[in-house]
Amino acid sequence: MSARETPFEQRLRGLPPRLRPLAEELPGPRRWRIETAALVLVGLLLAIATVNDVVLGTHVNHRLVADLHTWRVYTGHDYKNVSTEQDVEHFTTTDVVCGNTTPGPPKERTQICLQMTGPVVDGRRAARGGWYLPAKREDLYRYRYACFGTTKAEGACPR
Amino acid sequence: MSVAAQSEAPLTRTRSANWAPALAAACALVLVAATAEIVLDGALGHSILIPKSPQLAGWLQGIGERLGYRVFLIALLAFSAGYAGLALLSRSVSKRWAIALIATLHAIVFVGPILLSTDVFSYIAYARMGVEHGLNPYTHGPASIVHDPIYHYVGQSWKKTETAYGPIYTLLSYPFALLGVTGAVWGMKALAMIASALTLLLTWRCALARGRDPVAAIVLVGANPLYVIYALGGAHNDLIMMALMMAAVALTFSRRDGAAAATVVVGALVKATVAALLPFMILAKRSRAQVLGALGTLLLGALLAFAVFGIDGVNIVAALNRDAALVSSDSFATEIAHLFGKPGVFPIDHDLLKALLVVIVLHLLWRTWRGYDWVAASGWALLAISVTSTWLLAWYILWPLPLAAISRDRRLLAATLALQGLFIVHQLTPLFAPVA
Repeated sequence: MSARETPFEQRLRGLPPRLRPLAEELPGPRRWRIETAALVLVGLLLAIATVNDVVLGTHVNHRLVADLHTWRVYTGHDYKNVSTEQDVEHFTTTDVVCGNTTPGPPKERTQICLQMTGPVVDGRRAARGGWYLPAKREDLYRYRYACFGTTKAEGACPR
Repeated sequence: MSVAAQSEAPLTRTRSANWAPALAAACALVLVAATAEIVLDGALGHSILIPKSPQLAGWLQGIGERLGYRVFLIALLAFSAGYAGLALLSRSVSKRWAIALIATLHAIVFVGPILLSTDVFSYIAYARMGVEHGLNPYTHGPASIVHDPIYHYVGQSWKKTETAYGPIYTLLSYPFALLGVTGAVWGMKALAMIASALTLLLTWRCALARGRDPVAAIVLVGANPLYVIYALGGAHNDLIMMALMMAAVALTFSRRDGAAAATVVVGALVKATVAALLPFMILAKRSRAQVLGALGTLLLGALLAFAVFGIDGVNIVAALNRDAALVSSDSFATEIAHLFGKPGVFPIDHDLLKALLVVIVLHLLWRTWRGYDWVAASGWALLAISVTSTWLLAWYILWPLPLAAISRDRRLLAATLALQGLFIVHQLTPLFAPVA
């Protein structure tokens, strides 16, 4: 026993050998292998999840670029400030793209919103319907009017 | 071994000794060029990667072009590749060259704009709230000083948020409020640089104390892409926390256990995360001085915080709970949720992640009790905190890095660098599909 051992450490000596604190860890190749295997598995899971997320993000970006292009082609307006909104309620690939009907600051004019669906073909998607929004309004159900295309039958507008 | 092979062996070594420094120098140049590219392009402002900021690097404008995702990500990838090369060739890097490289990277980032984060403006806003407006940053968010010039620079998400930082950091930031907004930003940048220099100096000393190569240790930390571009570039207070963390480790190595435990507590009163070191340190050393040092400092810190900020300044747990509920798209928890077809992280996932963290920490505590390297255990705990957190930012994965650089368990370094690599990979989406 060391001369500098404290009463606390003396008490710890009374513990069973498997529970006593050690100054240096005993070699444990089996434990090392198990821990390393667990770390590798966790690393693999995180790597797969990361790559999967990058692929998902890439697809979403690709789709949003097509959405913006489609809006500009359908409306004939090459406006820069056009907003896209994804379906965060049901997580479908149906997006809504809104922009001004006449030149002006973002959302400061009457807006036209197009609902985009389907795959990207030649850099575009299908706009099967849409609605209008008054100036300075967000795309909320209560502000929508003059629904057209498929959205009219779906009841996307209150009036 | 054949005679020919015997005669070729020294030749091969000589060749490798010749090309290794040249390759290391090339890697160092890539790091400097990538940092300069980001800073020069960032100096122009008007970029989604550069937060709105007071005029800092006006004299650098006109050299670069507007910093877009593509250039930034290519520079970040080049930096990361150069860093990987340097880490592998660190034995070929002399002490003088390593210090020169790290000093150059620091200098480039120092003269440039604030990169990638608005956090530094929140730090200054909290300081100005306390000094200029007589408001308690633990009960008010920056939204209570809408007419203050700093308000416009605070990130949108944080305008109504009270400070989550420790009272010692808040008090440390108060003098910067007297420098005006631009002066305060420069002050915060200087503080980040000093904290980084201290972290690297202490990492060097700890590596020496452990018989590790100190040059490799400081290269691993000081030339790390997330450290240079994100932590230093954003002047994050995590660097102060890391400096105090390494001071505590260095004090333990020099057998000043009480002072070491007190330093961890001071670090936790800057940013609470570093408190994770304390149980491992105490279990490994089992000294009364540690417990007294920690309790005494905690008591003094709590009294000081209560005297200046009231009960809200003492209740750091509330702020931690608030932040733990946040979710970022870069967190591994979110990525795993997406992998399993879930749209994101739900409250039950928060509970599962907390339970997982508790299990990991208990396992590490038991290992430390049975003689495992407490420095490595602390590093694993910090890494586990960042992996299980639903709110992950680049500078959070830096916390374990200085510990990993001096740890006896090299798996910690491999795991830390691997996670940093995955974080960088996750940033690459705009490179594959840029949004117009």
